[in-house]
Amino acid sequence: MNDVTRRGFLGGLAGVAGVAGLAACAGGSTAPASGGGGGQAGTAGQIEFWSNHPGTSKPVEQAIIKKFEAANTGLKVKLVDAGQNYEEVAQKFNAALAGGQLPDVVVASDVTWFNFALNKQITPIDDLLATAKVDTSDYVDALFNDYNFSDKHYALPYARSTPLFYYNKDLWKKAGLEDRGPKDWDEFKAWAPKIKAALGNGQVALEMADGSNYLDWYFQNMAWTFGGGYSKEWTPTFSDPNTIKAGQFLQGLAKDGTVKFNKSPEADFSAGLAACIMQSTGSLGGITKDAKFDVGTAFLPGDGNCPTGGAGVAIPMNISDERKANALKFIAFLTNAENTVTFTQATGYMPVRKSAVDLPAEKAFLEKNPNAKTAIDQLAKTRSQDNARVLLPGGGARIGKGLDQVAQGQDVATVFKGLDQQSQQVFDSQVKSKLPS
Amino acid sequence: MTPPYRKHVGSGARLSNVQSTQTQVPDRSDEVTGPPAGGPPPPVGEPPHRSSGRRWEWTLAGLLLAPNLVLLIVFTYRPLIDNFRLSFTDWNISSPTISWVGFSNYIEWFTRDDTKTVVLNTVIFTVATVGISMSLGLLLALLLDQRLKGRNLVRSAIFAPFVISGAAIGIAFQFVFDPSFGLVQDVLARLGIASPDFYQQSNWALFMVTVTYIWKNLGYSFVIYLAALQGRRADLDEAAEIDGASSWTRFRRVLMPQLRPTTFFLSITVLLSSVQVFDIIYAMTRGGPVGNGTTTLVFQVYQETFVNQRAGYGATVATVMFLVLLVVTVFQVRVMDKGSRK
Amino acid sequence: MSAPAIVGTIDEPPTAPPSRRERRADQNRSESSSHNRGPLMTTAGYVGMTVALLIVAVPLFWIIITSFKERGDIYVRPAQWWPNPATTENYHDVTTRIPFSNYFRNSLIITGVTSTVKIVLGVISAYALSLLRFPGRGIVFLVVIAALMVPNQITVISNYALVAQLGWRNTYQGIIIPLAGVAFGTFLMRNQFLSLPGEIIEAARLDGAGPLKLLWKVVLPMSWPTLVAFSLITVVNEWNEYLWPFLMSDDERVAPLPVGLTQLQNNDGVTNWGPVMAGTVLAMVPILVLFLVLQRQMIKGLTAGALKG
Repeated sequence: MNDVTRRGFLGGLAGVAGVAGLAACAGGSTAPASGGGGGQAGTAGQIEFWSNHPGTSKPVEQAIIKKFEAANTGLKVKLVDAGQNYEEVAQKFNAALAGGQLPDVVVASDVTWFNFALNKQITPIDDLLATAKVDTSDYVDALFNDYNFSDKHYALPYARSTPLFYYNKDLWKKAGLEDRGPKDWDEFKAWAPKIKAALGNGQVALEMADGSNYLDWYFQNMAWTFGGGYSKEWTPTFSDPNTIKAGQFLQGLAKDGTVKFNKSPEADFSAGLAACIMQSTGSLGGITKDAKFDVGTAFLPGDGNCPTGGAGVAIPMNISDERKANALKFIAFLTNAENTVTFTQATGYMPVRKSAVDLPAEKAFLEKNPNAKTAIDQLAKTRSQDNARVLLPGGGARIGKGLDQVAQGQDVATVFKGLDQQSQQVFDSQVKSKLPS
Repeated sequence: MTPPYRKHVGSGARLSNVQSTQTQVPDRSDEVTGPPAGGPPPPVGEPPHRSSGRRWEWTLAGLLLAPNLVLLIVFTYRPLIDNFRLSFTDWNISSPTISWVGFSNYIEWFTRDDTKTVVLNTVIFTVATVGISMSLGLLLALLLDQRLKGRNLVRSAIFAPFVISGAAIGIAFQFVFDPSFGLVQDVLARLGIASPDFYQQSNWALFMVTVTYIWKNLGYSFVIYLAALQGRRADLDEAAEIDGASSWTRFRRVLMPQLRPTTFFLSITVLLSSVQVFDIIYAMTRGGPVGNGTTTLVFQVYQETFVNQRAGYGATVATVMFLVLLVVTVFQVRVMDKGSRK
Repeated sequence: MSAPAIVGTIDEPPTAPPSRRERRADQNRSESSSHNRGPLMTTAGYVGMTVALLIVAVPLFWIIITSFKERGDIYVRPAQWWPNPATTENYHDVTTRIPFSNYFRNSLIITGVTSTVKIVLGVISAYALSLLRFPGRGIVFLVVIAALMVPNQITVISNYALVAQLGWRNTYQGIIIPLAGVAFGTFLMRNQFLSLPGEIIEAARLDGAGPLKLLWKVVLPMSWPTLVAFSLITVVNEWNEYLWPFLMSDDERVAPLPVGLTQLQNNDGVTNWGPVMAGTVLAMVPILVLFLVLQRQMIKGLTAGALKG
């Protein structure tokens, strides 16, 4: 009698496990066979916009959405809080890809968009743009072509930024320097002793972000001005002698104390602890507010060697055509000249349309904020980032680590050779097979 | 080892039943390690009942356990099994296709250079955290068990850091450790010492993250020990004191044995939660400096899955961690049980 | 049926249950007699308390004063130990710049329901695992603890798929139910129940108490301090839960405070940390109040009431 009962009990336990097993199979195990689960379902006439509100832009986004809804009766936009930064939006989107309703529009950053495109999870929008009669030539070339993959565009630029050279005008004057930025890194090196002579206790000439805070983004400028770079197309070029020279230059600056690395250089700069920094244009508003001195801005040293950054807006692949068409209407509106002016004035990003600078609202703004004008003028001198950083998975973190090692004194050639090998290995195993032949 | 102190019994009819005196009172913790061989031995002291009562007990147990077990199975174990499966694949997290690679992820993990760093970080962090936060927690609980004025306020203050989320603390502690503006820097500057750059040097960064975590989680051990102290047998302590035993003896022979179950519990839970630290590291250093200066196992899972897009490899790291923890915990449970059975 | 083996000696026969006044006197006597360890211990106690307070409180103090500082006073050298001028602007900012009351309400609902479910399930599971007998008890216990070894980074994607298919995205139940399984509490309470004096349990059983009565009238009252500790820790963990609610919620209709407060930060520019610290303080206060209230429940109580019956 006891045995039967015990068996029955254990059998019950096994039954529960069996149910769980069934649940595992049926209830959406990860990695669906094809296309993302219930992506078809969506509310008619509703556009779900997943945004991390870059630059604390939620109010501005809501205002733009109101204008869109007023101009397009029958279409509603639902603004979703998709995270506190670009990585979290990507995380949430990946979760949705594994099984769940897809949004209509999602914010994709410079390092996250490509993986989605490569795995066919976001839609090429050229045909949709043509159907909606959007004039794509009005988009700033570099910004629009950042999303070009095998002759198709996968996103529209939205919250775009570039690095900017900020300098402390008071300290500059004290050092006897002209009121402008250095025209290249050689000139900066020549200026460095003068700057250091003018510094007080605890102050440093140049501060740059460390490897965990996107030094890899800023360093592209140095690598390019020396004639090198992270990669040419898909071939890693870390071991290119020019790239190594750039690395050694950075190491030299670190060794003689000209440059200090920090997680948030803008805080030190605003407090007067650093004479100049290379930071995103997005920090301009905050720095202007916090600094108790005259803030100067300039192009990055080196002509035409400014990387772009920030995020664009993309449309998922596996939603209905009707949803895609509506989504495109929205993102075209979101990134039109008038709205890009509103957006960028509120946040500090760059206007993504060429015609934006001619709008009276923008003209007036730029007159009042000459530093903002510097950033916009620099747009003409931008170039797309290197594949090894933005298109290879984990590229930024990998390069950041290498640069941290260089900054701390490790042999540049060895570190960069390692980066070459790692980048090549990642390309071979994760990207190559998915590229269209 | 001499048996714990037990002589007179204080006023009030209490049977001395200090936990560690192994007696003929059925030690229910037996069942943790012993395999259920042929039905449990007839437990002592159970009221007489027929075998139908036994069956009813089983049904009741099943009913009581079912809701929790179902939830755990569906929302924790199902993903865990899925994770095992994923660890044998090469899956880009955005990809709709998935390919089988057998053990190559495991081989890769065991042979890569950065694995050593990550494991070392995790071990250092965990050992420091478990050792320090448990001892400090006990010390503070003992201190604040006494009738001192203002102890309610101090208890709340000690518990307060635990109340704040790890992410919020990670962010707030920039104002403690920032080499230019932080609290530490300010205090050191007044003493004429330059503050180390906690964020740029790997060793200091690991130190910073460890100290932050201990500070935050002290309240946990503290509160558990405090609760345990409330339930202890004051009369035994009294009796020992009457007998002239010193404070240290009373602590070692009367109090510590009573706290053994709590210590055992804490050693497991503090270990498990500190191995799985994530929020503080994500908020403070993102696993850096120099790439993986403060990367621990769970952070590596996040890094590989969501930053490097290699969900299969991330699953491998998670599986390895789970298995190691399982072995360690089972070992701990057995050691603790053996120790309590003399 | 063999008589229960009794250990030690009984010096006195059981007496009638003491009156309330007697009980309180007893409590005071036992507390004070074990704790009047003389001036040395008391001084050490005060010194220890002060040191502990300093170490714990100074960073807390730092967070609080930062929340009262103006933007320009936050990043200064030397650091400001007292906000000058002090301002409540940051608190105003927090409550107006984001829909703070919505996030707060959501936090209350999510934390309240999840904690209650977890506490109940934890207690009954622990009871079954400690005081009921059935085969496989040890294995089930290990299965429960093993859940503590699974980091939530690996469960979220899989659970997301399941919950989304159930149509529970952006709903309270979608957030609460996957979080409702309890391993920590089961472990803690099982431990606690196992450490209860066996003879009290036996005595109650001999008195004919059924399992539920045993739980409610005997076991729980004796485990009150640990139950309170368990509740507090559970409430804290649920209150600070971030990853799962973040993935599940779309906006302030359902998102709790940890998710909502991140909107105060600027991911591409310069964050004003004053409001962020103010948000942290505001999120902390309700739980601290709860702790202050509940910790009185953790005071040593006379637990032998059941024995003397």
